[in-house]
Amino acid sequence: MGKPKVAICWLGSCGGCDETVVDINEVLLRVAGAVDIVLWPVAMDFKYDSIKGMRNSEIALSVVNGNVRNSEQEEIAKLLREKSQLILAFGACACLGGTPGLANLAAKSDIFKWVYRDAPTVVNPRGNYPQTSCRVNGEELTLPEFYGRVYPLNAIIDVDYYLPGCPPPPYLVMYALSAAVENKLPAKGSTLAPHRALCDSCKRNKSKPDRMLIREIKRIHEVEADPDVCFLTQGIICLGPATRDGCGESCMNINIPCRGCFGPVEGVQDSGAKFVSTMASIVDAESDEDMARIVNQMIDPVGYLYRFLLPSSILQKEG
Amino acid sequence: MSKYKPKLVCFSCKFSWGYLANEEALSREIENWVPVICTGKIDATHMLEAFKAGADGILILGCAEGSCHYQDGNYEAKKRVYLLRSLLESFGIEKERIRMKLSTDPEGKGIRELVENMKTDLARLGPAKKGSERPIKARGGKQYG
Amino acid sequence: MWKTESMGIAHVEMSIRQCLPPCQMKCPINEDIQRTNVLISLLPSDLGLAREGIFQIGDYLYDKNPFFNICGYICGICELECNYLKKGGAIKRRLLKRFLADAYAERLKAVEEFKIARSKEKVAVIGGGPGGLMCAYHLSKKGYKVTIVEASVRLGGALWLVPDYRLPKAVLQTTVDNLVRVGGIDVRYNSRLGTANLALDGLKDEGYQAAFIATGLPYPRVLTFERQSVEGQNLAGVMYGHTYLYEVSHGNIPADYFKGKRIIVTGGGNVAFDVARSARRHGAEVTIVALEREDKDHRDGIPADYEEIRGAWEEGIRIVYSRGVRRIVGQDGRFKGINCPECVSVFDEGRFDPKFDCSNCIDLEGDILIITVGQGPDIVLLRKEGLLDAQGRLDVDLLTLQSRKKPWVFIGGDVRRVGFMVEAMGEGLVAAESIDRYLRGVDMREGRRRDHEAYQIPIRKDYKREPEVPWMPPEDRMHFQMFEIGFTLEEAIEEARRCVTCGPCLSCKACVSIGFQKSLSPVEVDIARCSGCGHCVYVCNYYSARLISSGGKVVSETDMFRCKSCGMCVVACPSQARSMVGDGTAEKVAAVYSSLA
Repeated sequence: MGKPKVAICWLGSCGGCDETVVDINEVLLRVAGAVDIVLWPVAMDFKYDSIKGMRNSEIALSVVNGNVRNSEQEEIAKLLREKSQLILAFGACACLGGTPGLANLAAKSDIFKWVYRDAPTVVNPRGNYPQTSCRVNGEELTLPEFYGRVYPLNAIIDVDYYLPGCPPPPYLVMYALSAAVENKLPAKGSTLAPHRALCDSCKRNKSKPDRMLIREIKRIHEVEADPDVCFLTQGIICLGPATRDGCGESCMNINIPCRGCFGPVEGVQDSGAKFVSTMASIVDAESDEDMARIVNQMIDPVGYLYRFLLPSSILQKEG
Repeated sequence: MSKYKPKLVCFSCKFSWGYLANEEALSREIENWVPVICTGKIDATHMLEAFKAGADGILILGCAEGSCHYQDGNYEAKKRVYLLRSLLESFGIEKERIRMKLSTDPEGKGIRELVENMKTDLARLGPAKKGSERPIKARGGKQYG
Repeated sequence: MWKTESMGIAHVEMSIRQCLPPCQMKCPINEDIQRTNVLISLLPSDLGLAREGIFQIGDYLYDKNPFFNICGYICGICELECNYLKKGGAIKRRLLKRFLADAYAERLKAVEEFKIARSKEKVAVIGGGPGGLMCAYHLSKKGYKVTIVEASVRLGGALWLVPDYRLPKAVLQTTVDNLVRVGGIDVRYNSRLGTANLALDGLKDEGYQAAFIATGLPYPRVLTFERQSVEGQNLAGVMYGHTYLYEVSHGNIPADYFKGKRIIVTGGGNVAFDVARSARRHGAEVTIVALEREDKDHRDGIPADYEEIRGAWEEGIRIVYSRGVRRIVGQDGRFKGINCPECVSVFDEGRFDPKFDCSNCIDLEGDILIITVGQGPDIVLLRKEGLLDAQGRLDVDLLTLQSRKKPWVFIGGDVRRVGFMVEAMGEGLVAAESIDRYLRGVDMREGRRRDHEAYQIPIRKDYKREPEVPWMPPEDRMHFQMFEIGFTLEEAIEEARRCVTCGPCLSCKACVSIGFQKSLSPVEVDIARCSGCGHCVYVCNYYSARLISSGGKVVSETDMFRCKSCGMCVVACPSQARSMVGDGTAEKVAAVYSSLA
């Protein structure tokens, strides 16, 4: 037997997740020595055809980042599923849909109109739109089909493990990789991150009052936030209470509230809905008008509460 | 649209609505009626799931202002509804689809009428948009010009 | 209309750790105040329809407290501890009970007699006041053959001295009559212990295995100054309040008996006010002279209830505070006036030991002096029966009320320590329990220590002000009819709804008894999920959800004694770490949702 084969692949993603793999630094070299990397489009030159030629389950682990929004991404996801023993959904996009998932609030046609016609930087006098196929000089050129919506990876293929984050922090990547190498992975379907919410490790948790009540909702750029005090206490929406811990508090540490990239805590499907209930409980409104006033201070609620997980939300998830 | 019959889920607080009535008999009269011990117990998740399950609207009947047996359950529910409504609009679900009334009706005689009235209003709105049919409507966003 | 089912019965046992709302703790018989308030709040607004519910609530109260309707007129002890007191006014529980009592009056005659065969030992209850009657009722309920040995011709004891304008005689009579009927209790009237060869040993010879002495305080206390009896108490025109009220209760005082007379009443207790206000109604111009201060919150504050003081003041009674009586002045054998030094302090380290400043005296003139400074027990009799210790005090175990001199004898009520009606009733209840234990030969003390825990008022957005209780205007109430206008059904429902039910569900279960919930669902916290974010604490109105340190982590927990199972913490928890065990809501919701598709 040779070294275990590992694939690292991106679908609908920005590349940040691949970057974080590189961020494990020297450890990566050890990993590279211990495994046989068979696919990593961002870093090395491989052909999908070489994967197609493999036996089923020949790849020990495929680390897949990015969501699925077109036919090519779907095809690669399905190919890797067939050839891999384990699929690790890596990063917020693969796990939950990610920020690009907010595109689900718009219809495909509207997106095309904006991107290829209406955006101020676009010059498209002939009104060309992407086509899945066209003939040029007698040859057929094809493009993947752009789907009507964004899907998280598990809407397309079975996923064995999840590692959320935008991107996942290097230390969790190392944990995940060493667990895989040492055969110490937990039950399938698990998320390879802490089970509790971010407040569990947040240093600001101690600063909360006995009874938190907020009369104003503020945005982080509108105030000078006290770096030692719970954001919610300051009226700044922080998704920490409803978001899985494990990010290493990278936002908190630079005085930015949690935006939810780790997704819901274990056992919660829709942390956006949960956060509505949570947040409502600390709103201190005197009257109906006051309630409306405070609620209206929250700009773009869906963008705020579902920034990373819209395609996995109750209302959007299929089935 | 004449054949369209909206589906409505009605939650009501037991301490104010229909506590003198026979609950079983009343629930035969009122479709999709869920009496709860306190409206403060209705989670935003419950409400989203109702729409997911195919409801076109939700009616919440709570105790009169200041009369909640659990002190402020009706007030808590109301805050939740306000927040959720503003979220649902982004999903293309009109805010009129969640209605809340705080009052007392020991016999529960008025529940059916409130349900029917809301159904009439929902019929005017048409079916709630499902899944990917939902149009762009991100509030406060200027990103679409 | 709902039906209360026995599954929800939550009568509080006199035992172990008791977590009760403060009103129920304050009540000497621990009446289920919260539970019945909740049930009142859920009555139909039509009196005809509400009757059935009122009877259910009344039956429930009657089972433990056959005096509950009298309490509705004269006992509001629970209101003194009501958490609402400082938030807008105590819940008017007494008036709620009076409302029940009035509607329950017709039902009273129909309350069924105890079905239990009275086959157990014979027990003598000496004294047919509230303490004795309560003891007799509960012993009879347990199957003992009870005889009340009553000195007078009527049962009810000192309750007869409460003026009609506070407690109508008809209410008292029916209550007592029905209690004896329901309990199947034998009564020997005109039988005073210590007379006509009636003694404890004689009762024992008759086969009584245990006795409860609740003979009250039959003798008025004389007026003293610096521990000496004040001279002149035998002058014409000087009488004792106790005697006066006794005569009033027998209808021996004609309507205008005191017309044109100036009456001075000494004393600052409720009885002194009963005397003063009765005398006023008999036509007198009345002045009350009290040792205590006007400020009720002060250590030396006047003990009479605020409502009595307000009533007296409205009725034109003059109240002179902080004055003692040094001399009773007479002329030609008739009372003429009193000399009153300033009282500078009433209690010395909790003991009644008034101090005076005799350089500051006033003289008050009057035609009649009514001394109402308390009553005393029949010490001679108690000594003769050998129930006193060397210091001349009753030798009684305070937990069991068992005599240390005669183990088959139990002593309670005013004779042991003066108090409110309900305190005597409470001792009757304790004695009944003790006598039962004594006769069954089981441990007298086990499980009887009562460890109470008080509950704070729940947090809420708005606290409501107490309702105005209408009284007849003073000019229209110079008679012995009730002047306090009770609650209408609507007002009762409204006031019962104002009760914030501070007590734990475990002691109430009103909602379970009428089928609102199958059981009280405990809230569980999954520590593996809880991040200690605190949102459950913020939303909990009962101080039940709280944060604790566990294994170096901050996590939340639920104090089940405080939890109301309202579910708000479950909803607010962003981690779904909280759940209600055995709560069917989720299933019910799921069933409805699945029918939508």
